[in-house]
Amino acid sequence: MITTIADAVAPLSGVTLFHYLFVACAMFVLGLVGFLTRRNLIIMFLCTELMFQAAGIALIAFSRFHMNHTGETFVIFVLTVAAAEAALALALVVLLFRRKETLDASAWTSMKG
Amino acid sequence: MPETALISPALLYVACALGALGVVLAMPRRQAAAYVIGAAVAAGGFALAMVGLAKGAGGEGLPGPLFYVFALVGLGGSLRVITHPRPIYSALYFILTIIASAGMYVLLAAEFMAFALIIVYAGAILITYMFVIMLASEGATESATEGATEYDRVSREPVVATLAGFVLLAALSTMLVGGVRQLPAQNSASGSEVMLMTGRTESALKAAGLMKEGEKLGAIGEQGKDLFEKGFVKVVGVDGVARDVPRGAWAGALRLTNTESIGFNLMEANPGAIEIAGVILLMAMLGAVILARKKVEMDDTAKALASRRAADDDELGIDGPFVAPAVGGNQ
Repeated sequence: MITTIADAVAPLSGVTLFHYLFVACAMFVLGLVGFLTRRNLIIMFLCTELMFQAAGIALIAFSRFHMNHTGETFVIFVLTVAAAEAALALALVVLLFRRKETLDASAWTSMKG
Repeated sequence: MPETALISPALLYVACALGALGVVLAMPRRQAAAYVIGAAVAAGGFALAMVGLAKGAGGEGLPGPLFYVFALVGLGGSLRVITHPRPIYSALYFILTIIASAGMYVLLAAEFMAFALIIVYAGAILITYMFVIMLASEGATESATEGATEYDRVSREPVVATLAGFVLLAALSTMLVGGVRQLPAQNSASGSEVMLMTGRTESALKAAGLMKEGEKLGAIGEQGKDLFEKGFVKVVGVDGVARDVPRGAWAGALRLTNTESIGFNLMEANPGAIEIAGVILLMAMLGAVILARKKVEMDDTAKALASRRAADDDELGIDGPFVAPAVGGNQ
């Protein structure tokens, strides 16, 4: 039953697709819960990366199901956006840390206005 | 396949509730958090969903055993990312999640993306995260939880957030159960993309003795793809006369690898998008450099905190990390 690269052209069943999509959904939800509950700015951004990752799994699973490579190509752009986001977000986190000497997101409640 | 539901909704909701309970238990909080119990309960929920799915599908079309291993490792890693009180361990667990996802990519016959994922995510993005975590840590290094800062040890509204998240999961998966059955039939790959690689096609033809030295392929690109799907390739002889060669055994070995297919898809279908991706990365790099160079003043509260910490270090005779003067970057 182990899928190998050799039988990559065999069609993927809808049931298997559902398994992968379920895992992708669960991972996305874990990222979402982490983003809402954690108070450390760096962990919050790490949780957005977790959500990107879940989207990637769903894209690859659909790409395999439909037997074309568009989904895989799109994951490349997801990686690009994730890398750009990480660079900018971490630069901002460093700035915020320099001002307050803490990574606590609730230290910035004054921005609520 | 029977036209019954893939999995009974009640079972799915019980599994989601178990997962939510496990996550709430594992969340860091003021009292000692029950990581192991939480992880076990969440894993039980996942196992329940998987067993329900296997039964509902009647044992047909299930993924192989490796899928379950990667899914469990990936989701367990994600759980630890969001519950570990020390950021550096969260980042390490995230690498575990990445590797498990890469395993799933390989199972889905996307080898190129699996390697790209490990190189870009585990190799580049996560290392940046680790640098920033170390740069912006608040010192203090005792045992696993003692040293963690207050805002890492206590989570914010764990019950409400987890409930909201898992209601979303239940809704999404209910929708998927209904939707997966209605997906359009998949179109199988015809293999005609191979005509984009004239060199490989020509050498296969020459090896089969269907093409002599000095001859070349007549129709290539889109035209060649159309002909190939009809079962021919056009070969132009040395004298300039074209002849049709039927697609035979020689074409069997010609299959684009995953990397080649992605390359064609990227360069043929999205040549503009890849340029834009390059510009986005350049802008992000410039933005990060400009932001990180900016000089910022410390808040009054932060100054008090820093001087108190420096005083503590002096008392203990420790050479503190760096304190106020160095903050702000070089100009």
